[in-house]
Amino acid sequence: MTSYSKEVIADLVAGTLPWPQTRRIMSAYKDDDRFFKYVAVLQDRVGWEDPILLPVGDHLFICQSGDERVTKCECGHSFGDYRKNWKLKAAIIVRDTEELLREIYPNSDLPDPDWMEIREFICPECGTLHEVEAAAPGYPIVHDFEPDLEGFYRDWLGKPLELPNKGG
Amino acid sequence: MLDKPASALRIRERLIESERLMEESGCYDGITELHLRNQDPLKFETLHTKLRAYCVSAREMARRISASPGVREVGEMVVAIYTPEGDAIALSNGIMVHVHTMSRFIKWMIRNGYEENPQIRDGDIFANNDAFIGTVQVPDVMDVMPIFHSGRLVGWAGAVCHELEAGGITPGGDVALAQERFTEGLFVCAEKVGENDELRRDYVIRCERNLRMPIYWVLDEKAKVASCIDMRESVKALIDEIGLDYWMQVSKEFIEEGRRAQLARTRQLTVPGIYRGHTFYGHVTAGKPGYQPLGDPDWLYNIPIEMEITSDGKIRMDFEGTQPWGYHSMNCTPAGMDGGMFVTLTQHMNFEGLVNDGAWMATELKLPQGTWTNPDNEMVATATSWALLLPAYGVFQRLLSRSFIARGFVEEAFVGQVNSPMIEMGGESQYGTPFGMAHFECAAAGSGALAIKDGLDTAYVGWNPESDMGNIEIWEQNMPMLYIGRSVVPNSGGAGKYRGGCSFLSTWLVSKTDHLRLVTSEHSSRVFDNGGLCGGYPAPTCQKHRAVRDSNIFDLAENRAPLAHHTGTNPYRSELEVRLEGEHVTLEGPYITAPHKTGDVFTHSYNGGGGYGDVLERDPVKTAWDVENGFLTKEAAEGIFGIVLDEDEEGFPVANLEATKRHRAEMRAKRLARARPVSEWIAKERERVKEAGFAPEVRKMYASAIKLSPRFTKDFSAFWDVDAKSTFGVE
Repeated sequence: MTSYSKEVIADLVAGTLPWPQTRRIMSAYKDDDRFFKYVAVLQDRVGWEDPILLPVGDHLFICQSGDERVTKCECGHSFGDYRKNWKLKAAIIVRDTEELLREIYPNSDLPDPDWMEIREFICPECGTLHEVEAAAPGYPIVHDFEPDLEGFYRDWLGKPLELPNKGG
Repeated sequence: MLDKPASALRIRERLIESERLMEESGCYDGITELHLRNQDPLKFETLHTKLRAYCVSAREMARRISASPGVREVGEMVVAIYTPEGDAIALSNGIMVHVHTMSRFIKWMIRNGYEENPQIRDGDIFANNDAFIGTVQVPDVMDVMPIFHSGRLVGWAGAVCHELEAGGITPGGDVALAQERFTEGLFVCAEKVGENDELRRDYVIRCERNLRMPIYWVLDEKAKVASCIDMRESVKALIDEIGLDYWMQVSKEFIEEGRRAQLARTRQLTVPGIYRGHTFYGHVTAGKPGYQPLGDPDWLYNIPIEMEITSDGKIRMDFEGTQPWGYHSMNCTPAGMDGGMFVTLTQHMNFEGLVNDGAWMATELKLPQGTWTNPDNEMVATATSWALLLPAYGVFQRLLSRSFIARGFVEEAFVGQVNSPMIEMGGESQYGTPFGMAHFECAAAGSGALAIKDGLDTAYVGWNPESDMGNIEIWEQNMPMLYIGRSVVPNSGGAGKYRGGCSFLSTWLVSKTDHLRLVTSEHSSRVFDNGGLCGGYPAPTCQKHRAVRDSNIFDLAENRAPLAHHTGTNPYRSELEVRLEGEHVTLEGPYITAPHKTGDVFTHSYNGGGGYGDVLERDPVKTAWDVENGFLTKEAAEGIFGIVLDEDEEGFPVANLEATKRHRAEMRAKRLARARPVSEWIAKERERVKEAGFAPEVRKMYASAIKLSPRFTKDFSAFWDVDAKSTFGVE
């Protein structure tokens, strides 16, 4: 069975693994023990103790926080119950004028702000930009991901989650 | 030889039985055990690899018969081997899109009584390019030939090429101006076009008399027939070796294994749950010559996708909430939607090559009737369905990527494809002859970023995983235009920790013709039809066309003055305007206009890919390299990414790490100061929503989605706490 050390996974996640090695990992059979090594790498990276249950973004994690399962920023800020859309608890910058769009697109033709805007969802504590939506004005904010967390641990990983979620 | 209905009837019955067995057992053709695989796994795998080799070899041979630079240079072709019922067993590399579309074509003939009339016999050649039977668009012309052994139908060999000219209302294959089926070009509707291994002369004559450049289509036909014969003979020789009974069983086990492998791979690489995303497409045709007033000239489409990964590993994609079909060429049939799904899956999850229709069986598409994904009117045009397919399956790539990130396979996360506006042309060639052609350098756009590195620059499109822009010299042989520039477009990848791949721009001088009709398609402007992921931005929207008619370029050349080789980085005044005199044209959306002639200059820009991650985390050293090599500008490095660059003694950019740290801290603080709580924004925005205070095209989009989709109506109403129907005046 293919398997890599935690250090290799850490470098891979950080984007610092040399390309030839990364390429070999991409081409090889996948390592079945990846998930828990990956979570361990991320757990080392964050500055808090709540166990990570599932990464849902580059710096966003579902974690067990006491009796609750919440979506958390890497900085430790909690967006609340993981079953709710974390974006609704975020801070937002909306680029809906040519001037604001031009800041990101300095050299190209721009979309028409009457047809399209950019929404930046930001951690209100550390300012990390977690997600960008390009949407028509008035389009409801999308709930990107509702994982079947219990089913994933129970049926796919064979390690049912111990604590029930009491949040919500 | 099988030439009588007595045995042929069994094919249709067999197909129905095969589908019943699948429904009852959940396994392909009722194959619940892989007996042959268990008996001798090595023999099993070796045979599958052999079949794959037959396909790859047949495709390579065929490419050398073709006269089309699209097939020869860019590889716009795929071949496959099918079961008698029309399920793909093995396929070549190439445009994977068509593995399942050809399957639909074969099944359509079986269901429609082709065994009786026109009969299915050894040596017959059947062709199709009707998307409602089984292809994506008119230029995707497919040929299939039955494989007989010992008097029994034992399979099919199939091949498809993308034709560079289809004889539609505008030249090329992606007929941008088609608004109904009747202007899309030459249709071949599941037709027997040859017998005894030879194309019928009357069919070839029809092609010759209805196409602007028949040499491409006709030689591609010959290439496809050759590849089918090659595969057929290889399969027959294989059956001689392994026996007919073994073949009939093993070919089905390959497919069932493919189905199981796809489910297992999904369980291995992803996380179950519901994933959502959306994208948009903006079409601007008001005032352009040729468009009939059949619908609104300018419109906006929303493409929402909900993907469910079930606990058994099945991937379900639901397009509910999207827009109705329209009088334009961008509609898509279920066959085309299958094609988009298949080409994406083969790149993301089945890249080892041993893939077949089993993978498709492990997925499910929900295509609401009446929408562009499943038109309830077979007269609609689908000539440029890629215009909507590419943005849609770009969303699929991002949804899959989120699942890979959740599971830890970050190296597989890929923001993926973008639209690839295509330029097509016709008129009088540089040789004084009639001509028509689609220019396929669009097969080398910038890709979206990966979760661990930047996207591919000028090296990716979703519809052809073997992306290639072709050689300038070859394209110049085939059109009356000369390249005066082909350049990377700086800042054309979406910004992010990892930026999207950059696109390129071509600049041509029209040469040796008085009549060159230039047309472009898949040209979404006004909106982003691509996206970023995890904080990355979309790549810039599709760029406007810039041209100069009656330019003074020959005078400049004679005086050895500088020419314009690209449009430059000033969006308000292009290099063409700086360097050239003449009638300057800037045009948004599809380029439909009067013919060009010698001395005109035309530019066409392709698209970059979306970015990944927060821009303020981008590597400063890598960015300095990007600026040095023209992928980013110094201003963008500082203004977007917060990276301060100095110059070394030789004038090359060098990252100033300390100044970058300070600048980024300021930018982060500014970001926080500028941001407001989402709840506050929603409360304010709700007032606008209540009044439906949007542009007419946006209001129309909402009204159409609400009319077609109860779920969209419910979600919209719930999110904004309004009555969506009354807000947008929907009965």
